[in-house]
Amino acid sequence: MSDSLVSELKSLIVRELNLEGRDPASIVDSAPLFGEGLGLDSLDALQLAMAVEEQYGVRIPEGDGGRVAFASVAALATWVREHGGASKG
Amino acid sequence: MGGVGVGALTGFGVVCAVGRSVAEAWPRILAGERGIGPLTVFDGTGQRTSLAAEVKGLVVPSPVDGSVWSRSDAMAFEAAREALAMAGLDPRRVRVGLVVGGTTSGMLETEELLARMHADPTARQPTPDMIAHPLSATADRLAVALGPFTRARTVCSACSSGANAFAIGLSWLALGEVDAVLVGGTDGLCRLTFTGFNALAAIDPDPCRPFDVRRRGLSIGEGAGFCVLERPAAARARGARFEAAVVGVGVTSEAHHITNPAEDGAMPAEAVRRALASAGLRAEQVGYVNAHGTATPLNDAMETRALVTALGPHVERAWVSSTKAVTGHTLAAAGALEAIFTALALRDGELPPTVGLEQVDPKCAALRHVVTRQRADVDVALSDSFGFGGVDTVLALARADRVDALAVSRRSVYVSGLGSASRLGALSGLENLALLGEAGAPVDPLSGLDPAKSRRFDRHARLATVALAAAGAVRADGAFLGTAYGDPDGSAAFLARVFEKGPRLAPPADFPNLVPSSPAGHASIYLGLQGPVMAVADLSASGEAALATAWEWIAMGLTDSACAGSVEGPSVIAETCLAPQFRALEGIVRPSERSDGAAVARLTSERSEVEVLAVAQGVDGAAVLAALPPPRECASIVVAEDDAEIAAALAGSAWAAVPRVDVLRAAGRHEGVGGFAFVAACARVLAGEVECALVLGVPRGRAYGLVVSRAR
Repeated sequence: MSDSLVSELKSLIVRELNLEGRDPASIVDSAPLFGEGLGLDSLDALQLAMAVEEQYGVRIPEGDGGRVAFASVAALATWVREHGGASKG
Repeated sequence: MGGVGVGALTGFGVVCAVGRSVAEAWPRILAGERGIGPLTVFDGTGQRTSLAAEVKGLVVPSPVDGSVWSRSDAMAFEAAREALAMAGLDPRRVRVGLVVGGTTSGMLETEELLARMHADPTARQPTPDMIAHPLSATADRLAVALGPFTRARTVCSACSSGANAFAIGLSWLALGEVDAVLVGGTDGLCRLTFTGFNALAAIDPDPCRPFDVRRRGLSIGEGAGFCVLERPAAARARGARFEAAVVGVGVTSEAHHITNPAEDGAMPAEAVRRALASAGLRAEQVGYVNAHGTATPLNDAMETRALVTALGPHVERAWVSSTKAVTGHTLAAAGALEAIFTALALRDGELPPTVGLEQVDPKCAALRHVVTRQRADVDVALSDSFGFGGVDTVLALARADRVDALAVSRRSVYVSGLGSASRLGALSGLENLALLGEAGAPVDPLSGLDPAKSRRFDRHARLATVALAAAGAVRADGAFLGTAYGDPDGSAAFLARVFEKGPRLAPPADFPNLVPSSPAGHASIYLGLQGPVMAVADLSASGEAALATAWEWIAMGLTDSACAGSVEGPSVIAETCLAPQFRALEGIVRPSERSDGAAVARLTSERSEVEVLAVAQGVDGAAVLAALPPPRECASIVVAEDDAEIAAALAGSAWAAVPRVDVLRAAGRHEGVGGFAFVAACARVLAGEVECALVLGVPRGRAYGLVVSRAR
């Protein structure tokens, strides 16, 4: 499901989490964002949730709902789309 | 290890949500009356909660001398005045020192102005409204209102700041620098911290419930706590009463994460062990622990594991409670207020409860919780304080009748590494002689940093990390970094965003960088340092103040080694607004063009070629020079800039004829030049250019002298 929203989210992740030198395109759509995979942590989750809310007007819940949305970039794109997110940027 | 001795608690002062004196607050803390209510000091719209533990009825003075006071200053003043009055001490008659722990100082009062300065360059100019902004402003206000104090220091280690003020005060008593010392912490409510913790999802929408399975985070509070510490024999000799004393201190860092504690609690447990060991106490003697107990899911479970690890089977015997459910989390004041509550519990044989604890979290079930006020005769108690960056401080207190004289021993302190990061690049060891040369084409000092490990660092943290690495920092080391203003531009950008977009869009990852101790905290995580980590502030003498603190801690055995110096980042607000204003107040005539950089020396109790022979602090250069040894043959004086203030201070002293060199031309101008001067002085001695060197910083109202020498 590689589409423009997925690419946008990859760039957002690299920018917001200061993943300097990381090519957004190298992030695998289905790879876990947290723990293994990109190796992000709970502070990154909060920062990313804030950035997604600012960019798309979609709130990512804390707790279990957030775990679903942040399972991977593909899952995040699905979450944004299903919650009516529209890019403001 | 050396010994830091005992500080008899002869006076207390308390300002918190349930009272503005010990007499008012303590019965309500014992009764478990919550001080948490509607937030009124600023608009809480858009935050997770509109509840806070506010101090009621506080009047912020507007003195006739035109100085501007903050809420933090006013609370500190009330608490410090109460403590001095209870101790019956007059700072005009005996040598009293002052140590203040803080994180935000006058933030509340300057937040809107900072946000304006962020957006509008014409708003960036010196204004009296910013006088209350620097971290050291409270110490300066207290010196005028309650002093004189023979020496004053301001420390920030986030939420353990107040506890570390006690550690510094103990070291001054043990070194004989003061007859008594007023120590404490103060932090007023402000949008910055409230919004920051809100963004970190660390705030409970309801009043906080430490150790309860339903807990969701902290309740933010405000307050100030101050104590008078004296040597027990001296206190008894002057007829002062005291029922409790601080007898031990343990300080460690987790080197784990800037906001989250390591779940195993290993380093807080080590801090408990060190606090007990430094007092010659055993785990089975601990009868009460005033927990850090913030009510975040991570802290309370971690703290339980730490206490189980440190106390072993004796954890079943020690009562535990968190008074934050009553006072809220008062940040820098917490360590001081809770040390006071611990002392009062020892005095009265009554323990305060953890209010709101109804269903104990299975992860916290190993502790013996105090759920309603509890009579218990306790001889020995602990007060835990943990801060952002994993900076853990534990104080051990004992009933006065159980206090034996503890050995005080003073160790020599040596220099074993030098590092700097500036427009001259990253310099290690003797390369730092370049600090005394001329500036060439600028070199990027940060090119060697790992981008992944430093991705959350601001430039302050990056400069600090490079300097510490160049000085050869190792795992057991602490880090003491001087900073005059922290990161005003970062605070301004954060606040501008909060005002413009609302609290929900405050960037959580930026918030921890706005705490003044964050460069040291980040560097400790990057480099794996597990000793004491903190920021020290004293305007243009912040570097000297940090070096003096590290020297005192190593000399008195609070740590065996630490890197110390200064870090100043780039700041338009410091350059255009703060620096011109405070340099004028300090009598420093320099253009406001401002560079940045970090410079540290690795200090250790292990013998090496260069020794830090003496460190003196006072209110003027003459007093400091009189307290220092005379120069050996072939000496040098290293200063920020060879100006009239320096010449006037040296005139008539034993050092008057010694040649002077300055570090400003090469390293650039900023408040951290003292760190650079010290590193350059050590490099000269190490290179054999001179036998000994004096670093002298004498901005008006504060003076430091540090003498380094070839070890004999």
